[in-house]
Amino acid sequence: MELIFLPLIFGIIAFFLPSKWVRPYGLIASIVVLLFSIDHLIKFDPENYVLMLNPAEVFPLGLTFKMGYDGLALVMVLLTNAVISIILLANWNRAISSNARFTGLVLLMQCALIGLFTSLDGILFYTFWELTLIPIFLILYWFGKQENNRALFKFFLYTLLGSLMMLLSFIGLAYFSPNFSYFQLVQANFDGKSVEAALIMGGILFAFAVKIPLFPFHTWQAPTYTNAPMAGTMLLSALMLKMALFGMIKWMIPIGFEGLVYLKWPVITLGGIGIVYGAIIAMKQKDLKTLFAYASISHLGLIAAGIMLFTFSAIEASMVQIINHSIVAVALFLCAGIIEDRLQTRNIDYLGGIAKVAPRFGFWFAVMTFISVSVPFTAGFIGEFILIKELFTAHWVIGITAASTLVFGAVYMLRAYQASMFGPTNVTVFADLTWNEYAVFGILTLAAVGFGLYPQLIIDFIKPSIKFTQELMAGDLTFTK
Amino acid sequence: MDAVIIIFITGLIGLFVGMLKKSELTLAVTSIGLIGAFISMFYINESQSFFSSYAGLTFSRTQQMFALLAIGLTLLSVLLGYVFYKEEEEHTADYYGLILFSLTGTLCLIGFSNMFMFFLGLEILSIPIYVLVGIQKGNSLASEASVKYFFTGSFATAIMLFGIALIYGSTGSFELNEIRMAVDMGMSHSPMLIIGVLMMMAAFMFKVGAVPFHFWGPDVYQGSSNAVMAYMASVVKLAALFAFVHLFNFTFNALTPFVSGLVLFAIIVSLFLGYLSALKQTSFRRMMAYSSIANTGFALFAVLNQQFGEASLWIFMIGYASSTVALITINMIVEKETDELTNWKGIGYSNPLIGITLVISLLSMSGIPPFTGFFGKYLLLSSAFANYLPFVILAIIASLIGAYLYLRLMVLALAREGEGQKIKMTPIQAVVLIISVVGTIGGWLVLMIK
Repeated sequence: MELIFLPLIFGIIAFFLPSKWVRPYGLIASIVVLLFSIDHLIKFDPENYVLMLNPAEVFPLGLTFKMGYDGLALVMVLLTNAVISIILLANWNRAISSNARFTGLVLLMQCALIGLFTSLDGILFYTFWELTLIPIFLILYWFGKQENNRALFKFFLYTLLGSLMMLLSFIGLAYFSPNFSYFQLVQANFDGKSVEAALIMGGILFAFAVKIPLFPFHTWQAPTYTNAPMAGTMLLSALMLKMALFGMIKWMIPIGFEGLVYLKWPVITLGGIGIVYGAIIAMKQKDLKTLFAYASISHLGLIAAGIMLFTFSAIEASMVQIINHSIVAVALFLCAGIIEDRLQTRNIDYLGGIAKVAPRFGFWFAVMTFISVSVPFTAGFIGEFILIKELFTAHWVIGITAASTLVFGAVYMLRAYQASMFGPTNVTVFADLTWNEYAVFGILTLAAVGFGLYPQLIIDFIKPSIKFTQELMAGDLTFTK
Repeated sequence: MDAVIIIFITGLIGLFVGMLKKSELTLAVTSIGLIGAFISMFYINESQSFFSSYAGLTFSRTQQMFALLAIGLTLLSVLLGYVFYKEEEEHTADYYGLILFSLTGTLCLIGFSNMFMFFLGLEILSIPIYVLVGIQKGNSLASEASVKYFFTGSFATAIMLFGIALIYGSTGSFELNEIRMAVDMGMSHSPMLIIGVLMMMAAFMFKVGAVPFHFWGPDVYQGSSNAVMAYMASVVKLAALFAFVHLFNFTFNALTPFVSGLVLFAIIVSLFLGYLSALKQTSFRRMMAYSSIANTGFALFAVLNQQFGEASLWIFMIGYASSTVALITINMIVEKETDELTNWKGIGYSNPLIGITLVISLLSMSGIPPFTGFFGKYLLLSSAFANYLPFVILAIIASLIGAYLYLRLMVLALAREGEGQKIKMTPIQAVVLIISVVGTIGGWLVLMIK
């Protein structure tokens, strides 16, 4: 339980600290939480569920208050804690990090995210799902560009509409399951009513599709990203989108499995459209942040399509890709943030020749670009390769569409890199990297290459969880804990 | 059981204490009386009759819960009233006395088990409110509101009385149990009964402020003082809704298929009309009035819920009432000459207590977990899910509009420009804010105790 309460307490304390202490405090607090989660990792046995909170009785409304994690959730918890530390480190030399409200909100966000990943009760899951929205909303509102509240409202209401649809699904699910315990929901008995199952799954899917975002639901993303502060964009793309992907693997598909036949190909098709559409739009963008936002639609379309196949290797590859995308998102938005910080613009028309003025930044941006286009020996290579292979096995058309991401990705990323770093020298003054930025780039590169060379690190944790979920769904396993 | 008497006597004592023109003393007497009533209500024996030979006033477990909530919310309104009436001490006692008499009526309206007690409660509840609305004598808006409320309100009461008479005519009894038996035994086809029930329903719609009988709401809210507005939005609404749900779920149980269409119509129209009109308001009070019309729409789902209607209504009302009281308190703090929403700019950013209260209250009203507002809506909607799915979906769409409304207010109040703004807040207001936030956060935990 300390995984949830520590960031909560740290977050509340942060609001009351004087501003000169806030910066070190935030980083230390997040590292302490990370260390606690590593402690959980060391004690963890992938074959078992670890239940942190497990009341025996069922409360009114079918609430069970179960919380715990399997390998899948633990990987996400570790990812959250690591990324939060990295985000705070990346913001070290910015004014925002000395703001007590910012640090407090980030820590509260961490609390809500860990709660989401470890909840084993439908209503708790929904609660944490909504709770993550509040800190991010305040971060975007207080520290983003003030003039554009419209984008902010669009983001909040769009996600809230998704959440309400999910709520509707959970209400409907109550008719098929005795209570909201995850283990009961997964075994929800639809008696072959696959249409009902598909409707319930569709409601949950809507919430996830808005957050991922899948192709026709993506319109909130680009304006929200461009108006957000750097830390807000990182939180959104590196962590909040992953909530939805995690939810698909752990909640949506196991619960509504009978309905998967109806939704599998529509979602894969949308994912495929997203891959091409996002990439093509990204190629034409001038604003670096918008470009990375559309690139993210392209990458996540691939992951979502892979998850819908729900085969072992597709899900393993998706998890590798989820972690890789977090690394890439933090890296790219940090690069965009560095450029904006030094030059007050992100438009690549006004950039050019930065690599001559700031060669070290040029080098690290190149490394990050290569990671994001999934060159071999990075985590992205393994993930994308297996995902494309799996999609190809499912159908050759979607396989080819998915494979285009490799080409397109190289096109828009290298174009962005080339236009901003080389070319005509528009930029004469550009302060090179500070120590914290070196540290962030170093850690990210290490992680990307590490998982690229040895993805088994992740897969070993996930495999038993997926096997376990499948046994649970088949009813082979009576899990009464 | 003695709670009703305690409250009435406290009201009388309060009137006499008021002659000393010491508002602290009046407040102390009134608060002690209310706390005493709360305690005595807490320890009543279930179904113990009030009079030995007359069973018109009994409190079941649910009714006891509603009564406790009403007393608690009245205490908050009384505390708010102290801040407001401190300046004009000659009216303080009027305010306390009237509000306690009105609470007496509220308790009768909650504990009734025959039509006679029901009507008595309704009148004792309403008449002091007519006076309270117009208590600021110099204010023309207040006089307008008072007159408007009195005329329309007494018209509704007359209709209600006519309905009761028709029901008596067709069933031959005032006792709810006997009426229910008569209705169940197939007399539901009698036109006289149906007309009577419809008249009662129309009057109820007026009292709770549901569309199409909602026109008094915005004007009355605008004319009354903040404390009276808090009382009307919480306690009066609570009692009227409870009586509505109790009568239609228990007594006219067999007529549900007949009335459900009308109730559903009122729900959907209230929700959309309430929220959409609230979006256009620039005055806080009018906005709250329309938002309360919309929330009434939600609460009316309880009428269709035979099994857990009253319990769901309780949870919904504690969430709604405590957030409303919190918002009205904040309005009281920031209100200048007018109650324009622009007064709210940045107040949440400069004052952390107001900021936290405001965020939690507004999120609860938008239906975001884990606050009580979410659980209330969840209970109401989940019970209607099986039979009235299209209406549930419409209600969810309406609640999205509501979320936009509350979000806009939140964004306005949390604007960064407000930094450094000085806000004067009395300790009593802070206490009211804290109590209402506790209610908003923890109200739903009552579900876990039962």
